[in-house]
Amino acid sequence: MRASLDDAGLSRIKLIELFESQIKSRRLDLESRRLAGQGKSFYSIGSSGHEGNAGVADVFRVDDIAFLHYRSGAFLIQRAAKRPGTPILWDMALSFVASSDDPVSGGRHKVIGSADLFIPPQTSTIASHLPKAVGAAYSIGASRMNPREDAVLARDSVALCSFGDASSNHSTAQGAVNAAAWGAYRAVPMPLVFICEDNGIGISVPTPRSWVEANFSQRPGLTYIAGDGRDIVSAVRAAREAEAIARKRRKPVFLHLRTVRLMGHAGSDMETQYRSRQEIERDADDDPLLHSARRVMEADGLSAADIAALYERLSGQIACVMDQATTRPRLASAQQVMVSIAPAREGLSAAAPKPWPTPKPVHMSRAISATLAQEMQKDENIICFGEDVGRKGGVYGATVGLQKQLGAGRVFDTLLDEQTILGLAIGSAHNGQLPIAEIQFLAYTHNAEDQLRGEAATLSFFSNGQFANPMVVRIAGLAYQKGFGGHFHNDNSIAVFRDIPGLVLACPSSASDAVMMLREAIRLAREEKRVVVFLEPIALYGTKDLHDSGDGLLLSHAPAAGAQAVAAFGEVAAYGDSEAPDLAIVTYGNGAVFARRSAKELASRGVRAKVIDLRWLVPLPMESLLRHLDAASPVLIVDECRESGSLGEELFTRLIEAGHGGEIRRLSGRDSFIPLGPAADEVLLQQDDITEAALSMTGTSAPGKRS
Amino acid sequence: MNRERAVVICPGRGSYSAQELGYLARHHEQRAARIADLDEQREPRGAAAVASLDALSRFSPAKHLPGRNASNLIYTSAVMDFAAIDQERFDIVAVCGNSLGWYLSLACAGTLSLEDGALLVDTMGDLMEREGVGGQLLLSVAHDDWTIDHERRGMVLSLLEKIDGAYLSIDLGATLVLAGDDAALARLKRDLEAAGGDAPVRLPKHAAFHTPLLSDIAETARGLLAADLFGAPATPLIDGRGGVHSPYAADVDALYSYTLGAQITRTYDFAKSVEVAIKEFAPDRLILLGPGYSLGAPIAQVLIAHRWHGMTSRDDFMAQQKRDPFLLAMGRDDQRAMTTL
Repeated sequence: MRASLDDAGLSRIKLIELFESQIKSRRLDLESRRLAGQGKSFYSIGSSGHEGNAGVADVFRVDDIAFLHYRSGAFLIQRAAKRPGTPILWDMALSFVASSDDPVSGGRHKVIGSADLFIPPQTSTIASHLPKAVGAAYSIGASRMNPREDAVLARDSVALCSFGDASSNHSTAQGAVNAAAWGAYRAVPMPLVFICEDNGIGISVPTPRSWVEANFSQRPGLTYIAGDGRDIVSAVRAAREAEAIARKRRKPVFLHLRTVRLMGHAGSDMETQYRSRQEIERDADDDPLLHSARRVMEADGLSAADIAALYERLSGQIACVMDQATTRPRLASAQQVMVSIAPAREGLSAAAPKPWPTPKPVHMSRAISATLAQEMQKDENIICFGEDVGRKGGVYGATVGLQKQLGAGRVFDTLLDEQTILGLAIGSAHNGQLPIAEIQFLAYTHNAEDQLRGEAATLSFFSNGQFANPMVVRIAGLAYQKGFGGHFHNDNSIAVFRDIPGLVLACPSSASDAVMMLREAIRLAREEKRVVVFLEPIALYGTKDLHDSGDGLLLSHAPAAGAQAVAAFGEVAAYGDSEAPDLAIVTYGNGAVFARRSAKELASRGVRAKVIDLRWLVPLPMESLLRHLDAASPVLIVDECRESGSLGEELFTRLIEAGHGGEIRRLSGRDSFIPLGPAADEVLLQQDDITEAALSMTGTSAPGKRS
Repeated sequence: MNRERAVVICPGRGSYSAQELGYLARHHEQRAARIADLDEQREPRGAAAVASLDALSRFSPAKHLPGRNASNLIYTSAVMDFAAIDQERFDIVAVCGNSLGWYLSLACAGTLSLEDGALLVDTMGDLMEREGVGGQLLLSVAHDDWTIDHERRGMVLSLLEKIDGAYLSIDLGATLVLAGDDAALARLKRDLEAAGGDAPVRLPKHAAFHTPLLSDIAETARGLLAADLFGAPATPLIDGRGGVHSPYAADVDALYSYTLGAQITRTYDFAKSVEVAIKEFAPDRLILLGPGYSLGAPIAQVLIAHRWHGMTSRDDFMAQQKRDPFLLAMGRDDQRAMTTL
């Protein structure tokens, strides 16, 4: 039965207001296409046919954080109407024409977003924004139980995310829905509404009839509600029902709205290639604007002539707004484009001196848990989570004791899904928390990399620095693990992190460095809002000694009075004879330990080697590195990762570009996956390789050939 | 021929000064009957006839400046100016105003009839004159080139935070109107003078409009004026928060509550309403109704703040005005000629 205005709690005036928002959204689409034809507008994926989402916007509050897909023009316009003084048509027009005045992305993308309206901008998404919606909902729910001063989102707010029927098949969508349901199944508060705007087709591939309902209506922990997005009244009614469940019962809802897609997938898409004329016409007849016009007439709101006049007036208005927007400036240099890649530095505090977290020397994994405990005691916004980080304290004990000390609200286990872990980090960061997420093994990052690459790292860029999702992602990785072999636990590829603009990658090579660098990583996230990946070499977690049994040189030692207790971002660490060395070995991670051992052996052969531990792998700390290098002396790059695509290549290139005059050689692992057992050593670089290369570079005879 | 899209801006208090004396007689002779009708309606309520005030041989602060007379003069002049706009040439796409100008906007946009607009203005003018408390200070926070001096503006706003009973009354962007009770105003004046820069100017016979100090007046006004005076606007209206009220979708009850509620007791953000006017309606011209044109500079400053039509300074604005004026002030004879038949 058709919903009445009363069923939906709609007044005649509100109905007309919604209709206006729908018309505005449609006209912006049409104008955008007109200007695209003139080369003045650059993105033609529009909202036409999906304007029913104006009704959803009206039901929810402005401070209900909304992660919206690209067909959400009417949603944005209607939400803006709740904040008088928001020039939303102008702001959207600026975004369509990629003007640097665009208050959301600063001319970097057509995005549906607004800082004032709690809509973090999304770009082209294939549901990759759903995990963070789950994260935001989780964080909202948790802040109700443990109120925090720095919470950004209201405790009684809900999180929204929207996506299409085709995207609902994507693993990120499935994972996010699963994670929300998993949480709700365990009675974890999860005030979240998944809004699936089902237009029945994904570019050219039809969604099987009733598939979305069949797929999502029977999930444990998830309430399924359907409405007709073509009929604004039905959309409002369904959204109200969804809101009640999400806001009052703190449960996740799947709001399924039937829509149509008008004018193809995008401006460049010729729909007639894959749809019949009848199909296209049927959708056109089902235009939500026509349905709304009928509703308005039935409600004795306006006559057909009034509606035509209204449409005419808004059309003229929006054409003028769009034309005016095309006169505004655009980004005109790489510098202007890139300025928002790393969020603006703000309110940097001088590092307060603090006691060393481990009174007694401990190995790296204990040093990490002690540092986390110290930081978490100081900052109530920090949360720590991942698989097995809670009761077990991490596979390698790097979070041992934390849950007991700080409670399960701040240190907790997640389900086994890296996309969810990273989404939880992004979403909780949106709520003012400082997430420290753990990915159990480096290889497990790869199935979830887009959460860093496409989501976390891009937020500052596409929001012109207005939004940030600071976080530290701790990842156990790299090879040489004794006792637990195999590729997935010894993965030595870090290429995934190396070309993500703005991301910071840190890698300690001793317990002391782990303390100092983790502190710095947390500071970078807290104060500079950075996304930091903290790569912990598994093989060094428990390693105590550098040269001799019992020397304890790799343990965490409090620095001597007056000594540097900071491993500043962008600063390398140098070991060994700094006065006129015969060569420098530039390395990181396990390689740094091998190189330091090798340097001792080299010294006994009369070769003075300076070992430089890069510490910060992305971006490469070139300035600091060059300060530590003699421009004429040989450099041996020791890169434990694979020969191809690893940072040794980049380092080599950058040294040449910097005009380094001395010989440069590079050692690395082989382009192989890691086999089980001792065979692993066949494809990984070894300490002896370093010694041999160093001797060769310095014209000294190789080991084994000593006289 | 396509009509030019124009946003009409209604002036506020202080726009009928000595130079404006005789404004109605000069410009609205053919509307004398309508003016007389309005005066006739005012008479039983004890208000002076504006036609007579306008016809006095000399400007008298005692007669022309008190709130009720000033408001009635400005209302009548402005709505008559509105009626004089050449509708063949201009398509009026939205209306906004400054402070008192909001009441005028309601009448221009058709939310109130001409008579009910006059009633609203006279009622409020009378109430303010009799029961208005506190006063207003006018302060420029503009650089010489009419860009906003953000440092000074920030300083003033933070000063307001610190002084009990002091408020931002009207935000014109590069010009601020501050309000408060007498003690707060004295302290504001002293602190602002100590901070240097242009001294604030006390506005004569003004109360602390747009502040919580007038909550009682808002309540009294709601008792005197019924909600059913208000109807839907025929033209989009932009209020003192930048909110847009569209002809078909306007919530008339909300318009009434705002007009006799938050509009009276909260900051009137004129700069925001002009920003919304230019950005959301992209007009070809702005038409500032008379009398006077003292609002011209603040409007120009808002345009400059948003680099509208590439204008970034007073010089740019003046050059644009000379070439092809974007702002047409009906209170100036030269520009008035471009707006009327």
